[in-house]
Amino acid sequence: MTQTTAAPAPSASKQNLVLSLRGITKRFGAVQALTDVDLDVHEGEVVALVGDNGAGKSTLVKVMAGVHPQDEGTITFDGKPARIGTPAESRDLGIATVFQDLALCDNLDVVANLFLGHEKTSAGTLDEVAMEKRSWDLLRQLSAKIPSVRIPIASLSGGQRQTVAIARSLLGDPKVVILDEPTAALGVAQTAEVLNLVERLRDRGHGVILISHNMADVQAVADRVVVLRLGRNNGDFAVADTSYEDIIAAITGATDNAVTKRATARASQPEASALPGHVSVAKTDAPEGETR
Amino acid sequence: MAPRPSGFSLLHPTDAATTARVKDVNAKRATPGSQTSLRESNRARIIEAVKHHGGLAQVELAGSTGLSPATVSNIVKELVAAGILQTTPSTRSGRRSQYVTLARNVGLVAGVHFGARHLRVAVADATGQVLADQRMPLGTDHRADAGLDRVALLLADMVESLDATLPELLAVGLGVPAPFDTSTGHVSSSSMLRGWGGVEIARVTSKRLGAPVFVDNDANLGALAELRQGAAKDVAQAAYVSVSHRIGSGLIINGEVYRGSIGTAGELGHVTIDEDGPICRCGNRGCLETFAGAQHLLELLRVSHGALTLRDVIRLALEGDAGCRRVVADAGRAVGIALANLCNLLNPSRVVVGGELARAGDILLDPIRETVGRSALPAASGALEIVPAELQGEAEILGAIALAIEHATVNVMANVPS
Repeated sequence: MTQTTAAPAPSASKQNLVLSLRGITKRFGAVQALTDVDLDVHEGEVVALVGDNGAGKSTLVKVMAGVHPQDEGTITFDGKPARIGTPAESRDLGIATVFQDLALCDNLDVVANLFLGHEKTSAGTLDEVAMEKRSWDLLRQLSAKIPSVRIPIASLSGGQRQTVAIARSLLGDPKVVILDEPTAALGVAQTAEVLNLVERLRDRGHGVILISHNMADVQAVADRVVVLRLGRNNGDFAVADTSYEDIIAAITGATDNAVTKRATARASQPEASALPGHVSVAKTDAPEGETR
Repeated sequence: MAPRPSGFSLLHPTDAATTARVKDVNAKRATPGSQTSLRESNRARIIEAVKHHGGLAQVELAGSTGLSPATVSNIVKELVAAGILQTTPSTRSGRRSQYVTLARNVGLVAGVHFGARHLRVAVADATGQVLADQRMPLGTDHRADAGLDRVALLLADMVESLDATLPELLAVGLGVPAPFDTSTGHVSSSSMLRGWGGVEIARVTSKRLGAPVFVDNDANLGALAELRQGAAKDVAQAAYVSVSHRIGSGLIINGEVYRGSIGTAGELGHVTIDEDGPICRCGNRGCLETFAGAQHLLELLRVSHGALTLRDVIRLALEGDAGCRRVVADAGRAVGIALANLCNLLNPSRVVVGGELARAGDILLDPIRETVGRSALPAASGALEIVPAELQGEAEILGAIALAIEHATVNVMANVPS
């Protein structure tokens, strides 16, 4: 399974491009966190964002979440140029981010956590019935195994908490859901639940950006893997054509810096169809059916 | 979960090779030829039959053991009292009958199914009732070490969630999506399931779990489950075909799953369709899998639809997407050619089509029926029914549980007064 094809670009023709980042650059003083980073997410696509510690994954997430606006580069959402200056703007645009710490209140029950900050009211009082109904709706859509929506978060397992955090992110009906290390602190059973959940998000047509260190999880659910290395793009792989080895090599830098490859790819491709990043090793002369 | 009766002991075969059928009569032996030894062996025969079938009516028990109905009735009563068997009232052809299974509290069994792209783990009681069930997606080239590690952790987790402990696990049945060579205990060749070559699956897993592990090809397990409780129930000559990421089949001959000399019988996916076709991962050319396997289907659709998953293809086909319907139908035609050959050779009376692609229903089945009708001997295809699997998506895991029950070690002697 060493063959990877350069064209056609994976999933380019499949569904609408929702979120597109071009030339994102971010500096913190002398630290160059991101340099000229590109990222595309389509509807119903799971994109895994992987890289070593300090590769810039979290910074890129924070750019998309509106925590740290980029210094340079453009963001296009749904075909229109967008500016993400604050977390509220990111959310209003249709990007939901679930951070690693989940930001849940342990002492509140599931419903209260889901609606925290945007509670439903009727006639000036909390409309508990409507909120509880909506909570069950959401959790059922995610096939979540939550015993009751009226128990405090503290009594739920890690996987169940993750589910609640993801359910909360879906309240605003986002187009893109960003999950930052969703399985990092979980046991196997909970990891299984979260991975099933990612599949369901994809089936519902959400674009999903999954940040993970676990290659097995990435290969299990992702359609595409985007590798960051030292703040730059270092490869964009269609999971179906890529082996663990290729991805690991890109993460560790054992393969060439993709930036130079991208430059050559850009030069040789017509401008319109240039999808930077889709530059995995071109080997088009491989015999048909070699990998079957 | 009630504690296990004290007289039950777990056998830990040092060599957990799946071929070894562990006999349960291992305790104090009576003098051969004596009345006691006769009763002992009759008891063992009945328990063996119950385990083998997973459960059956008391009248059938008489038929399959060759003992008289009165003897069966006596021994069943005795074993029920000893807490080894349990009976539930049911009806059989309009008459009241007793359905005999292992007793619920004899212990737990587990089934594990590694698919090409998913892992399924289930824990059941000794009657075959599933108590806990977990599924998780896997990557394309999932590795044996990581996978088996996850199985061990998941099983420990699930058993604990049932308020039980790992020693209560009597046996584990495990299905792999590749031909499994029972003579070596390995997947038959490493190219068939990358990352699994040379791994002694049963030994590695039973070491982790402390229970014997029995491994089989997943299509054989699917066939076993459809034979026991699904679309092939009471059919003596049948075949189960799983059309999914890979294509496999389980052959049912004279009411038993036929595994061949080393366990690789029924590899329908590697039947040659086109001698000059593309190279298959098995090393041959033009195998069925290169025409109807998921990889080929997704490759065909990539030009028009971009990168899809098999689930996407099925969903789109059911929604009426012309390209996806065509691709699924073409896969059906290719499967039909291989099945026609199988029918000419084995003359089954029913073919059960399962696997993920079978969820597309008649979009897949109609081209299969048409091609078999055209290519098989009229006599063979005339008597043949091609039906969808009844246990859709569940067949393999239920088969793994059935395999575990069949091989579970139950110590009879210590518990029954002689």
